[in-house]
Amino acid sequence: MNLVKDIKSFGFSPVSSMISSSSELFKLPYEEICKIKTEIIKENFSYHFEKNEFYRDVCKQKDVTPDDINSFEDLIKIPLIPVRTFKEANSHHLLSCKLSEIEFEMRSTGTSGIPSVSRRDSKTIDYATEGIVKMYREFFKISKGVGMFLFPPTEEMPEMGMIKVLNITAGLFDGTRNMVKKVSFNPQEAVEVLQSWEGKHVRNIVGPPFLIYKLLSYMIDNDIKIKLDKKSLIITLGGWKKFTGKEIPRNEFNALCAEYLGMNPNNVRDMYGLVEANMLAIECEQQEKHLPPWVHISVRNPRNVLEEVNPGERGVVAIYDPTSLSYPGYILTEDVGYIKTDMNCECGRVGQKLTYISRIPGVEVGCCAINLEKYIEENESKRCPDDATPEWIGV
Amino acid sequence: MYNEIISEHFMNPRNIGELESPDYIVEVSNPICGDTVHVFLNVSPNKTITALKYLAYGCSGSIATASILSEKMINQGLHALKAFSRKDIETLLGELEPSQLHCIDFGLEVLKKCAEPELHIYEKKEFLVED
Repeated sequence: MNLVKDIKSFGFSPVSSMISSSSELFKLPYEEICKIKTEIIKENFSYHFEKNEFYRDVCKQKDVTPDDINSFEDLIKIPLIPVRTFKEANSHHLLSCKLSEIEFEMRSTGTSGIPSVSRRDSKTIDYATEGIVKMYREFFKISKGVGMFLFPPTEEMPEMGMIKVLNITAGLFDGTRNMVKKVSFNPQEAVEVLQSWEGKHVRNIVGPPFLIYKLLSYMIDNDIKIKLDKKSLIITLGGWKKFTGKEIPRNEFNALCAEYLGMNPNNVRDMYGLVEANMLAIECEQQEKHLPPWVHISVRNPRNVLEEVNPGERGVVAIYDPTSLSYPGYILTEDVGYIKTDMNCECGRVGQKLTYISRIPGVEVGCCAINLEKYIEENESKRCPDDATPEWIGV
Repeated sequence: MYNEIISEHFMNPRNIGELESPDYIVEVSNPICGDTVHVFLNVSPNKTITALKYLAYGCSGSIATASILSEKMINQGLHALKAFSRKDIETLLGELEPSQLHCIDFGLEVLKKCAEPELHIYEKKEFLVED
């Protein structure tokens, strides 16, 4: 049986079928998932090999064609695109379609100021949104309650990837409130909003760790404690490093959420993603980051990225994302991490679980969250008269 | 999303690259969205642009704008760059969506800075790297 061929024979999309069946796929034996992933990634690889002259040349240099991908073990042969390529002046080479077919450009800007721009066509956006919503539903089961968004409205930063992705949760909540406006965040106002929702809605907080940490620090300094609701979630994305380079300790963060927000620490859920990929790895209640079943992660030897390391060993994270049609979604990131050795999770799901460790030493510090933090710090500093510090800064 | 003029220049950029020994290097950037162009100019004694290359980063519209303007700037006197109006840029870029209109301002800024170039070398910018 070839699932991809069978689904295509009915005129259906294999990728959409996988996304809509992800709950079932999370329950399949790992070997079965690998077989299906291989089929779907091979299909996508063939597409880019045919449509993208630049990528085809890369493949020819590596002596790889779609005919060489016949098993899960062959996936490593598929050439990867270093993520820095998305920042280069000739990034038009990455496109497997015409620019006129591109519907949306999304960006992430690091501390160098040069943005990484990902260009997506209509079908890729369909897959990306289907996949992200499905993963939110799978792991958060959001269908009601309210979301306090500790990030700016998308209209203020419409192309910033992190904001766009977090904002997708808005459609699942009964109501939301953006607490970062005009690049400024007032924690006291956030506290008041949480208090005003008490007893009316299940309250959830969504945003990058640094802003939630800022809220927590303000609550500590002012001895404010709130008890959120039994099912409240804190959903984070954007990394745990601050613009200053200081890292927010995850264990401390969880403990502070429990003490000052009255949260079950298991309901603090971090996510991993990058603007160039259409996927999010989302933490389950065991705080294990699960990859979507249609995405494969290969961890590479930092000294030779052509070599794969075993599960449990640290290395450079490479993503194989078959939902990308506008450019090959085979991305060698600048992130260090490892795949857990046990493909079975205590939460009952099966599949790859990613542990993110850090960025590769020597690469540019930067992501949407760090850039947002930088803007907010700069903006709030400018608003300070002389040396006066506003009450919410310095936390 | 993008019109045919922008699409064609983005996919087939003209004058992309760096000059080996530029007389001037002009940088135009938007600190918020990050759209950036480095224009490398050779200028004759009578203030005419004799050679031009550029490297552009950011949205496709800004990159295409740099390509479109590069064709117009070569062999022009520096003073002539000041004569380009907003309307001229609008005509050169074609119909744009609201989210793409910043390309017009970006283009005007490129022309304005290239009309009075100052720097002869890259201005190295410090940025944080991972430990």
